Amino acid sequence: MIAVAAAIVAAAWLGVVAAAAQTTTYTPPRTKDGQPDLQGVWQVLNTAAWDLEDHGASLGVPAGRGVVEGGAIPYQPAALARKQEHARNRAKLDPEVRCGLPGVPRITYMPYPFRIVQQRDKVSFLYEYLGVVRFAYMNGNPHPKGPIEWFMGDSRASWDGNTLVVDVVHFTDQTWLDRAGNFHSELLHVVERYTRTGPDHMLYEATIEDPKVFTRPWKISMPLYRRQERDAELLEYECLSYLLEETWDRPEAFPFR
Amino acid sequence: MSRSVLLTWLAATAAALGLTMATLEPLAAQARWDPKTPKLPMARTWGAYKAKMPPYTPPRTPDGVPDLQGTWGGPGGAGGDDIEEHEYVDVTTPPQETFVSDPPDGRIPYTAYGLAQRNAHRAGLSRGWPGESAERLYADPNTYCMVSIGPRGGIGEIIQQPGVVMMVTARTHRVIPTDGRPHPGDRAKFWRGVSRGRWESNTLVIDVRGLNGKHWFDSVGNYHTDNARMVERLTLVDANTIDYELTVEDPTVYSRPWKMNYPVRRAGTGGTDNATGTYNWRATPLVDKDPYAREVWENNCTEGIGVNVRNMHSLGFKWFRGVTPPR
Repeated sequence: MIAVAAAIVAAAWLGVVAAAAQTTTYTPPRTKDGQPDLQGVWQVLNTAAWDLEDHGASLGVPAGRGVVEGGAIPYQPAALARKQEHARNRAKLDPEVRCGLPGVPRITYMPYPFRIVQQRDKVSFLYEYLGVVRFAYMNGNPHPKGPIEWFMGDSRASWDGNTLVVDVVHFTDQTWLDRAGNFHSELLHVVERYTRTGPDHMLYEATIEDPKVFTRPWKISMPLYRRQERDAELLEYECLSYLLEETWDRPEAFPFR
Repeated sequence: MSRSVLLTWLAATAAALGLTMATLEPLAAQARWDPKTPKLPMARTWGAYKAKMPPYTPPRTPDGVPDLQGTWGGPGGAGGDDIEEHEYVDVTTPPQETFVSDPPDGRIPYTAYGLAQRNAHRAGLSRGWPGESAERLYADPNTYCMVSIGPRGGIGEIIQQPGVVMMVTARTHRVIPTDGRPHPGDRAKFWRGVSRGRWESNTLVIDVRGLNGKHWFDSVGNYHTDNARMVERLTLVDANTIDYELTVEDPTVYSRPWKMNYPVRRAGTGGTDNATGTYNWRATPLVDKDPYAREVWENNCTEGIGVNVRNMHSLGFKWFRGVTPPR
């Protein structure tokens, strides 16, 4: 209890979004397999897709408070310069503009819903964005031996009390963390924690580690909201087809020249 | 079979097999069909076999509906190169029966206008197949990793929960409500439309509306418009086989509704058999010893897609925006 209180004080002191303080004693219902039930259609309600750090507004970009514990991402100097280069040339360099798989954790806080489905030996994340599927296996197999470079990484799940912990490795260096140019290398290691904080809320935390890019592991956290609409469901976002349809006959806009 | 089609086929296979694309060498794995290959089975063979099967009562889930859960393959044969009956074309395209079970002649019942469009699509592929012109029109949408329904879509893993049936492959998912909710308004159009399911006796019936009309059933331009509606029927006919039927209705380009019909086999249960028209996607014992064999790993179809897109664009192919029949 003292540890929890200390964590809350520390989190508040670090300026983390209020979400962290919601780490309550809420007891989630259980699935038929006896696991804490995280299932349903979830979505964030923040501006992390634009920028993980505090940022002002610009055309089409809402201002927002950051989701990074401590406020700033601890870049190595050369990496910070590269992040700034990304930010300046975002329209050309961001993998999102060519509709690539967005990686983890970025896909979690894009403005599209996703569905969590639990079975005994795996948790499936079904994302509306690009129809991406991510399986987090809980079948006793460790991460397969690398090196493997996958856009969404290799996810292995476990339970820490009522919290789902997903360990993700085997990434490419081809995805970013947001539209502000925050990035990582293929050495990225993400540990996600999903904790129900109420009937319609879940705390999402991700610890991000990458010895090529950052000086130390750092953490983001934010609430996930259960979509309340009675007919909430995943529809389709086949990004590439919309992009090709829009630009095929416009040489100046066609991104695959 | 074009390389893109092949990759899609391999992806579907990999999804069903629980293999990683990394373990498959796409070109090395491409079957090279001998010109003397006997015609591969599809709707006709399956229809005859099915007629002789004893009645089957499927198991039920705790909430009392037929239990279709598990991992399923795709149609057998050589894939969705051409869903109509065809003879040997080249080493990538063996002779194969039609997917079309109705009408009985196995042909898609296009109107004269509808057929002219299909033939134009086919002629404009410019691959050097018989009947093609040298004029490039549209590339098969699969070249750009588009999602699909029917033979090219695959089922993957079926997961059932009260009020919902999910079909999950490495590439994508379908979440099909079975709670009686209506379809969205008809301005909401999607590659695979919007699905609404219901149970009729032993059969999962899926009503698909809101199709965007940009999808092709195969690589030779067989299509529907955004006026189409589809009904899929999935019925367990033995413990390890789903009878899959897809009815397509589109009065703007077909003279009558038509159906495709083929079996899909439960992954890992054998049954590759030209006599029955069933096909097993995962029978290699070597694979089964791998602790990861039942896992489904990333299928990033769009990885490196820029090359395909750039090539098609610079070759002068147009973007297919769907067929708009005259009123």
